[in-house]
Amino acid sequence: MEVSDAAVVSQVLAGDQDAFRVLVERHSRSIYAMVHRMTGSPHDTEEIIQEVFLRAYTKLKSFELRSSFATWLYRIAVNRTLDFLSAKKMNDTCQIAENPDPEAHGEQVQLRSGSPGPDRLLLSTEIESRIADAMKRLTPVEHMAFTLRHLEGKSIEEISQVLNLRADAAKNSIYRAVQKLRHQLAPLVSVAK
Amino acid sequence: MKHLTDEQIALHCSGDAGDSVEINRHLGECSECRESFEQLKAVLAFIHSAPVPEPHENFEQEMWLKVQDRLPQGQLPQEKPTVRQRLFFLHFTPAKWAGVTAMAVLLLAAFIAGRFWPRGSDQVNPGPSAQIDPQRVVLVAVGDHLERSQMLLIEIMHTDAARGLDLSREQAQARDLLDSNRLYRLSAQEKSDPGVERMLDQLEPVLAEIANAPRDLSRKDLREIQDQVQSQGLLFKIRVISSTIGTKIRQEEPASTQYSGNRRL
Repeated sequence: MEVSDAAVVSQVLAGDQDAFRVLVERHSRSIYAMVHRMTGSPHDTEEIIQEVFLRAYTKLKSFELRSSFATWLYRIAVNRTLDFLSAKKMNDTCQIAENPDPEAHGEQVQLRSGSPGPDRLLLSTEIESRIADAMKRLTPVEHMAFTLRHLEGKSIEEISQVLNLRADAAKNSIYRAVQKLRHQLAPLVSVAK
Repeated sequence: MKHLTDEQIALHCSGDAGDSVEINRHLGECSECRESFEQLKAVLAFIHSAPVPEPHENFEQEMWLKVQDRLPQGQLPQEKPTVRQRLFFLHFTPAKWAGVTAMAVLLLAAFIAGRFWPRGSDQVNPGPSAQIDPQRVVLVAVGDHLERSQMLLIEIMHTDAARGLDLSREQAQARDLLDSNRLYRLSAQEKSDPGVERMLDQLEPVLAEIANAPRDLSRKDLREIQDQVQSQGLLFKIRVISSTIGTKIRQEEPASTQYSGNRRL
């Protein structure tokens, strides 16, 4: 029978550092997708997940055993990822235009969509990069709220807890993200259909 | 016929709009709204079509090896105080409040005295060879950040709901402050400055609330934000930390660069 997370946490708190391995191996994969969707980089994702577990280990005494370890860890992962994105945004020297013109990009894609073979592959790569570009135009909180709701399937209540927002504010962040993504991607979608 | 708003359509796509029966009925009747809804659904399906990121096969084992190498040895560190412990101000008796107020007055007096007390007239101008201390630059930046946050919170606290609730300017400021707040909190954490870290940690959710508040903020929403600021004594704490930072900046100021009342002469 699988040992519960709470039992493993108690073991670690009692001084058995190796028991922490169970928690790392049990939960690292489940937070990978969310962090990767936010960063877009496997390397950054692995760095953040390491930080998440180190943080969890040093804060383990503050974990309340009656609550869910997975939820607690997920919350740490969300906060670490937001910290990373905020720091990156501040350091990013690459400026994003205030009023991007999605139509101009769309025209380029349209030309490629008509051609078969390698061009088709190029189109798919192009589309993936356009999704990534559109996501980069969101604020970290909008990006996270959208990812949690639409890609990770979390409820508004879970999102508001994880992001420390009221439900209305969480919904509003998701709405703003959807509007921005729509503005950026709608011209491409009509081509890709 | 009254059309659906963009927000209703966006939230309906994820089942969060609330009045879904009514929205579905409207979508059945209105081709314009249906077209907008279908287009948004296509955009979302397009985003969903991107592959789900998956780590490599031995990811978990490798992650443990990396984490294991970096785990601190010995006893686990003491936990941080809980939110309840952090909000110890709430449990103060009137006598304790009087003590805190007296301390704040003393701090304020010390701050004002420090700003205006002349520090001697025989200082030498440092000239172009003066060095920049990164620690000092960070302190000044955090002080400036707290001052801007304080001004924003004061504006929010004095917003009169009866005069309309357009907070778009404050929201833009809050978004800007939120990004820098995270950065300064991380910096305080790295430099083991628990007072500043805790302060910024408390400020962050409030800034996030303001930044992400709905455009059509209700009086109740505004009241909740104001209560959040008030119940945590945030403005008071910001003033105390700002004052401490101001003192620290002046203490760390090299003698040659300190303000001299006579230097202007």
